[in-house]
Amino acid sequence: MPSRHPRAREIGPFLAILGPPAAWFLLFFVAPMAVVWAYSFGSNVGAAGIEITGTFLNYARTLEPVYLGILAKSFGIAAIATLACLLLGFPVALAISFAPARLRTLLLVAIMLPFWTNLLIRTYALMAVLRDQGLVNQAVEAVAPGLAPLPLLHNNFAVILGLVYVHLPFMVLPIYAALDRLDRSLLEASLDLGASHLDTIFRILVPLARPGILAGLLLTFIPALGSYLTPDLLGGPDSQMIANIIERQFKRANDWPFGAALAFVLVYLTLFVLAAQGLLRRRGEAE
Amino acid sequence: MSDRAEVGLLDYSRRLPVRLVLLVVLLFLYLPLAVLVLFSFNDSRRTTVWKGFTTEWYARLAGNAELILALANSLTIALVTTLIALLIGTLAAIGLWRFRFPGNGLVGSAFSLPIVVPEICMGVAFLIFFARVLRWPQGLGWPLDLGPIIIAHVAFCFPFVTVVVRARLASFNRDLEEAARDLGASPWRALFDVVLPHLKPSLVAGALLAFTLSLDDFVITFFTAGPDTVTFPVKVYSMVRFSVTPEVNAISTLLLLITVALTLVALRVQAVAGDLQPRPTA
Amino acid sequence: MPSPLSSPPILPGRRPLSRRRLLAGLGSAAVGLTLVSCGRESTRKINFYNWDTYIGRTTLADFQADSGIRVVPSYFATNDELFAKLKAGNPGYDVIVPSNEFVTRMNTADMLMPLDMSAIPNFANIAPEFQQADYDTTPRHSVPYTWLVLGIGYRKSKVDGVPDSWKWLYDSDRYAGRIALLTEAADLIRIGAKYLGKSLNDVDAETTAQVAAMLTRQKPYIKTFHEDNGQELLLAGDIDLVLEYNGDIAQAMTDDSDIDFVVPKEGSLLNADTLAIPNGAPEPELAHQFINFLLDARVGKGIAETILYPTPNAAAKALMPASYRDNPVIFPTGPGMENSQWGRYEGPERQRLFEDAITRMRAA
Repeated sequence: MPSRHPRAREIGPFLAILGPPAAWFLLFFVAPMAVVWAYSFGSNVGAAGIEITGTFLNYARTLEPVYLGILAKSFGIAAIATLACLLLGFPVALAISFAPARLRTLLLVAIMLPFWTNLLIRTYALMAVLRDQGLVNQAVEAVAPGLAPLPLLHNNFAVILGLVYVHLPFMVLPIYAALDRLDRSLLEASLDLGASHLDTIFRILVPLARPGILAGLLLTFIPALGSYLTPDLLGGPDSQMIANIIERQFKRANDWPFGAALAFVLVYLTLFVLAAQGLLRRRGEAE
Repeated sequence: MSDRAEVGLLDYSRRLPVRLVLLVVLLFLYLPLAVLVLFSFNDSRRTTVWKGFTTEWYARLAGNAELILALANSLTIALVTTLIALLIGTLAAIGLWRFRFPGNGLVGSAFSLPIVVPEICMGVAFLIFFARVLRWPQGLGWPLDLGPIIIAHVAFCFPFVTVVVRARLASFNRDLEEAARDLGASPWRALFDVVLPHLKPSLVAGALLAFTLSLDDFVITFFTAGPDTVTFPVKVYSMVRFSVTPEVNAISTLLLLITVALTLVALRVQAVAGDLQPRPTA
Repeated sequence: MPSPLSSPPILPGRRPLSRRRLLAGLGSAAVGLTLVSCGRESTRKINFYNWDTYIGRTTLADFQADSGIRVVPSYFATNDELFAKLKAGNPGYDVIVPSNEFVTRMNTADMLMPLDMSAIPNFANIAPEFQQADYDTTPRHSVPYTWLVLGIGYRKSKVDGVPDSWKWLYDSDRYAGRIALLTEAADLIRIGAKYLGKSLNDVDAETTAQVAAMLTRQKPYIKTFHEDNGQELLLAGDIDLVLEYNGDIAQAMTDDSDIDFVVPKEGSLLNADTLAIPNGAPEPELAHQFINFLLDARVGKGIAETILYPTPNAAAKALMPASYRDNPVIFPTGPGMENSQWGRYEGPERQRLFEDAITRMRAA
């Protein structure tokens, strides 16, 4: 049970440590976002003006079935992509954290390297692999001509694949960071007592890595929900996600208030989920 | 490390199922990358159909000062952003973990907000902010004219660092820090000597995340870039209308090669340093 | 950029990479970098916000050699980005390249500076039919730079004859799964209106709903909605018919002779990309000088050679070879062109009507 130290001694370090992040956050995030938040209660005036009228009309519009449907679909696609990232990312993080030191650095860089190329050309390259005349289909053509061409592009499958492709390191890195130099004795003890490897992993390792896994889920799911380039390029006619709609409002539709409302609905929903998660965690800690 | 006949109990990286997944993932990640590198040699203005082999694009790249400058700008922004975001993000994580104060949970969730907000929304917010609220002086030389971009990048990158570091801190035994303090160390010494070493993997992970996020960011960079600043993603995205030429593939390939070279050098240095130190008993 | 119409052709691969060229290239890059970082204070400069590679290969360098003014280019990918960037205030651009409808839009928001036409004598080079601009007010705020028309780009070997009707994209399963359309809501609806035999301006809610319903029925046969890179999909063989601009297809045809283009007989949408000076430009006089330079006949020729888009500059067009002037893709003729109209910006409400209809269609 962590003890409580008298507060007075700690004001100095408290301000010094939390001061800079709080200042940056307030000045360079809250302030700009406050303006856009105000816009969500505004309406358009002419072609370029926005007047903050305190209206709830924009939020009312977000509750229309078509937008709720797109939101639900986006959640679904992002969730599947996140799950796939978890299934692929956890073993990779495991491999990295248990690897010898030099190999570890190499593997980390190997995982990160693709992500230092521009997203657009990486997506184009992925398209070159998946399209009707692409690499995969050429291989299929050579082996089983009847099956080709497999429809691997311009559909939801491609979008999910693309999302996994883009967000995998956001799952691997947090899990690796949490797993690294874990207390091995617990694992060894479990194995010594006769438990199988799988059992040990699921009963001991995963709970110990839980903060890392939760962090990975958060850092993967939310950006996946907000991605618009991947569904744009890789998706089919009905693969539009909520971020595409929001982007359209800020660009072609020139409806910044509605775009702001949609964006903030996303924020409210995620905050709700985070708060619920925080509550559950607090309750778990108390027990 | 010699390859012993018997794999150690916890040598997960040597076990077949794990190795298999690792192989599949690396293949999945690098196949498009191989295509990307291949197309940098494409004998055509486009990167969609293979027409033949040529090194023309690398030659053109050498004369394309604009593209090189754009990449230099993006790299600079990413490096500075990573440094600042790492600092601020870690401070936030440590602060939230170390100090119990009312509203701790709320502040923690608040710091995660930039992850949640759609990028276009933040981009527009920064556009308005730097146009109306905090006008950035124009005509400043390089690199000060990259200021708004760096500020915006740090704002949306540091929460990622915070989340990763907090996850690592969750596994840290608080008693160790208290013991250090009880033994007479100041709060700062305790932090530096006891907590920070434990955080190292999360700092590395956080830095890598922040660097990646910043280097490849398009939306926010687009809205915060000044009228005479060209950054790499913005330049590449603007090529979509006509065609993204293999020059872009060429410069990306070069960037990959440089990164691999630097990593190998870093590994070398690490190995040499390791050899000079007395080996700890296992 | 390679210019297939000039001689000798400078397609990649024809000249092997020599060490001298590489060193020369590196040298010029080094010089370029130094100039960029050092020359800032001494030379006069203007900021030019343009589409990528939408200028001649040597145009900017020629202008600097001619006048001593350095042009610093930056890029946007769509008109929306241009508008969004300028909406909160001009961050320092001197010359921009908006499309005709955006000129109207920006004029209603008072974002453009009236042009001093006496400083742009080369305006006389513009063909008479383009000098009159319904999308701009008097006094002028823009001058035409290029013009474009939407049509069907198609692969000859995979299509029966010439697909000279919008039906093949909007209302038929003949080419199921081999069709791609633009994502742009306003373009989709207005072309649909043309197909239904109506004008593409003043499209009312009823027509919009009709077009949206037609597209919803057609959706199973559409492979994808592209973001102005339809020519890439056509070249790669993903699709055989695409709704695209004639200039994009003309460029694609230099890579693949199996590609062709047609303006459907029901008529299509005409656009123009223009040069304008936003309010708050730091150097309006230099901006005028640059615009005048771009309208020069020889400069216009250099631009047309590079980008292969139709030019409204009659003097520049006269200097181009017959392969450009008589190119039926770059300068289409026929019933399709006769029925084509200029699109009008009709206010935010109309725009929102279109956007909404298409969003619903995509989600259906």
